[in-house]
Amino acid sequence: MNENIDISVDFAGLRLTNPVFTASGTCGYADELADFTNLNSIGGFITKSITSKPRKGNPAPRIVETDSGMLNAIGLANLGLDAFIEEKLPILEKLSPAVFVNVAGQTIDDYVTVTERLSNEEAIAGFELNISCPNVAKGGITFGTDPDQVTEITSAVKKASGQKILMVKLSPCVTDISIIAKAAVDSGADALSLINTFTAMAIDIETRKPILANRTGGLSGPAIKPIALYLVNKVYNEVTKNTNVPILGLGGIRNASDAIEFIIAGASAVAVGTANFVEPDCTAKIVEGIEKYCQQNKITNIKELIGSLEAN
Amino acid sequence: MTTSTQQKGDFLATVSANRQIGKTFYRLTLEFTDIGAQAFAKTIPGQFAQLDLSNVALPPAEKIPAELSDKADRQILLRRPFSFCNLTTKNNKTSAEILYCVLGPATLRMTTLSAGNTIRVIGPLGNGFSVPENKKTALLVTGGMGAGPLLHLAKFLTTDFPSIIVTAFAGAKTAEDLPFKGQLDNISQNLGFSIPEFATYAIESFVATDDGSAGFTGFVTDSLEDWLNKNNPSPAETIIYSCGPEPMLAKLTQIAQNHKIDAQLSMERQMACGIGLCQSCAVECKLDNSNETVYKMCCKDGPVFDSQLVVFNL
Ligand SMILES: Cc1cc2nc3c(=O)[nH]c(=O)nc-3n(C[C@H](O)[C@H](O)[C@H](O)COP(=O)(O)OP(=O)(O)OC[C@H]3O[C@@H](n4cnc5c(N)ncnc54)[C@H](O)[C@@H]3O)c2cc1C
Ligand SMILES: Cc1cc2nc3c(=O)[nH]c(=O)nc-3n(C[C@H](O)[C@H](O)[C@H](O)COP(=O)(O)O)c2cc1C
Ligand code: FES
Repeated sequence: MNENIDISVDFAGLRLTNPVFTASGTCGYADELADFTNLNSIGGFITKSITSKPRKGNPAPRIVETDSGMLNAIGLANLGLDAFIEEKLPILEKLSPAVFVNVAGQTIDDYVTVTERLSNEEAIAGFELNISCPNVAKGGITFGTDPDQVTEITSAVKKASGQKILMVKLSPCVTDISIIAKAAVDSGADALSLINTFTAMAIDIETRKPILANRTGGLSGPAIKPIALYLVNKVYNEVTKNTNVPILGLGGIRNASDAIEFIIAGASAVAVGTANFVEPDCTAKIVEGIEKYCQQNKITNIKELIGSLEAN
Repeated sequence: MTTSTQQKGDFLATVSANRQIGKTFYRLTLEFTDIGAQAFAKTIPGQFAQLDLSNVALPPAEKIPAELSDKADRQILLRRPFSFCNLTTKNNKTSAEILYCVLGPATLRMTTLSAGNTIRVIGPLGNGFSVPENKKTALLVTGGMGAGPLLHLAKFLTTDFPSIIVTAFAGAKTAEDLPFKGQLDNISQNLGFSIPEFATYAIESFVATDDGSAGFTGFVTDSLEDWLNKNNPSPAETIIYSCGPEPMLAKLTQIAQNHKIDAQLSMERQMACGIGLCQSCAVECKLDNSNETVYKMCCKDGPVFDSQLVVFNL
C-alpha cells in the first residue's frame, strides 16, 4: 500500500477500500475461495444469485468454452434463502469487503421476499438485483428488457431494501441500454452494474444439437470486454454522469489494465467474474495493479480517473 | 469416498518429461517443489488438478492432425482438469504423472510442453477413491483414456493394502486406443494376457476391444461380467473402481447392482473453475431414500461417486 495514493472509492455512500468486486455467480459464497486468495484485499463481494426457494439448476452440460470466453447456463442453482441465512451469512459476516447479495426470482414478490428478509442483516451492505439472467425460463432477463417492468420491480425492491444500497444489474441484450438504465435510476436504483452475460449458443456439428443442455447460455469472459466497455461508457455519458449513481463495470476483466479501462470509461468500481476460474487470486492482483498504475501516472486519488475518457 | 482437508493451492510446476506413448496418448510428468510438493505428495488416487495451458504454444501446423485443425483455432481460456496416473515423492520434490489423450485445443498445446517448461497447476482437487473396510478383492475397470486414475489407484492399493487382490480390466475401441506404456503381451490370445503397467504392480489384467484387435472382442463390461460369473467373489468383500465413458459407467453400475457389489466411479464433467465457485460441473444424484434428485458438483463432491447414487442421462 502506498500511503500517498488513495484508491478507496465512494460507492453510493459506501466507503470501499478499493474499487474491485467479485462478480455474482463466479465466487460462490466466498468460502470456496479461501484457499486461493485473501478476499479481505478486495473492495466488494457479490454472492451467487439467491432465490426465495432452493433451485436445482439446469442439467449438464452447463458450460462450454468458446473463443476467449465461455457460455454458461447454470440456471440460478442456489441453496435458497433460508439455507443462505443459516449457512453462508455467518461466513460473509467475517469478510471485510462490502457484501452485496444478488437477488433473483420468477415474480416481483419473489424478489421482494428475499430482499425484505435480508434488509436488516448487518453483514450485508446492499443488494444486486438480477433482472438480467438469460438462463431461466421465467423471471430473470424478462424483467430487465422492458423499461416499464424495470420501473415496477426496482421501486418494489427499493421499498423492501430498507437502508441498504440497491444496485440494479443490467442485461446487454437490449436495443438501447440507456433506456433501461434510466428506468432503474428514476425508480430508485442507488447504483447500476453492467453487464450481465449475452445470450448465445454453441452447436455440436456432429450431432447438430446445441452443446448446452439448456440450448442457450450466457457469454462471458474476455470475448465480451470491448462491448461491455462501450456499454458502460454509453450509460455513463447518457444516464449517470450528472447523478450520484455509480456504475459497477464488468464483462471480461482479467487484469488491472482491463479494470482501468472500465474506470476511465465511467465505472466507479469494477467486478471480475470468469477470470477467477482461471486465476483465483486475480482480484488481489488487480487491486495491486490499479495502485501501481496510479503511482506511475501520478494519480493521487482514483476519483480523478473515473470517467476521465478524453476526446480524440 | 475420501474427503480430505488437505492443503490445496495454485502452484508452479516444472515439466520433467512429456512422452508420446501411443497414437493419441502422452504421459506428462510435472515436478513440484516446496509447498507444492507437500500439497501434491498427499494426492489421493482419483483426485485431479486444473492445468493452465492457455499460454502454451500449439504444435506447428503440419503436426496438427487434420481432424483437429479447426479445433486448434480456438483460443483457450479455461484451465483443464486431469487426474494423475502416478505419483512419487523424493527429496522434497513430488513428481506427478498425467496420462492424457489429445482431443482438442488444450491437449494439442500440452503436447508441445518439454522438460524445463513451467505451468500453473491448481490442486489437488476433489475427493478421490476410498477403500471401505473388509474388502479383499478390488476390480479396476477402465475405458479408453480413463486409465489414468486407476493406474494411480493400482499402485496405491498394492503398496497400502497388500492383502487386497487387485484385477484390472481395460477396454478401448481398438488396440491403438489402449493408453498404456509398453507392448501388450500375447496380442493374439483372447484372455488372460497382461498389460505391462499393471504387471509391474503384480496385477493381473484383461483387455477388451470393440473390434477384437486386442484381447476379448466386445465391451470391457462384458469381460468383467464373464470374470464375475466364473470367479464369484464374495460381494461384501469386493469393490469395483472405474473411470471411463459414461455409457460404460452406466452399464457397470447395472452389473455391480446385479452382483450386489459396491462400485466407485470417477465421473467427468466440463469444468470452468474446478474448485466449487461456478456450479458448472453438475452430476445428477439420487437423494437417499427418496425419488428426488439433486445436482452434486463433480469438482467438489466428486469426481468419485458411489455408483448407486448417480443418475445417468444417456
Ligand atoms: C476430473 C477429471 C479428470 C480428467 N482426467 C483426465 C486424464 O487423466 N487424462 C485425460 O486425457 N483427460 C482427462 N480428463 C478430460 C480432459 O479434461 C479433457 O480431455 C480436456 O479438457 C480436453 O481439452 P481440449 O481443449 O484438448 O479439448 P476440448 O475441445 O475441450 O474437448 C475435446 C472433446 O472432449 C470432450 N470433453 C472435454 N472435456 C470433457 C469432460 N470433462 N467430460 C466429457 N467430455 C469432455 C469435448 O466435448 C470434446 O468433444 C479429465 C476430466 C475430468 C473432469
Ligand atoms: C458460471 C457463471 C455463473 C454466473 N451466475 C450469475 C448469477 O447467479 N447471477 C448474476 O447476476 N450473474 C451471474 N453471472 C454473470 C456474471 O456475474 C457477470 O455479469 C458476467 O459473467 C460478465 O463478467 P465476466 O466476463 O467477468 O465473467 C454468472 C457468470 C458465470 C460465468
Ligand atoms: S467446475 Fe466450478 S463448481 Fe465445479
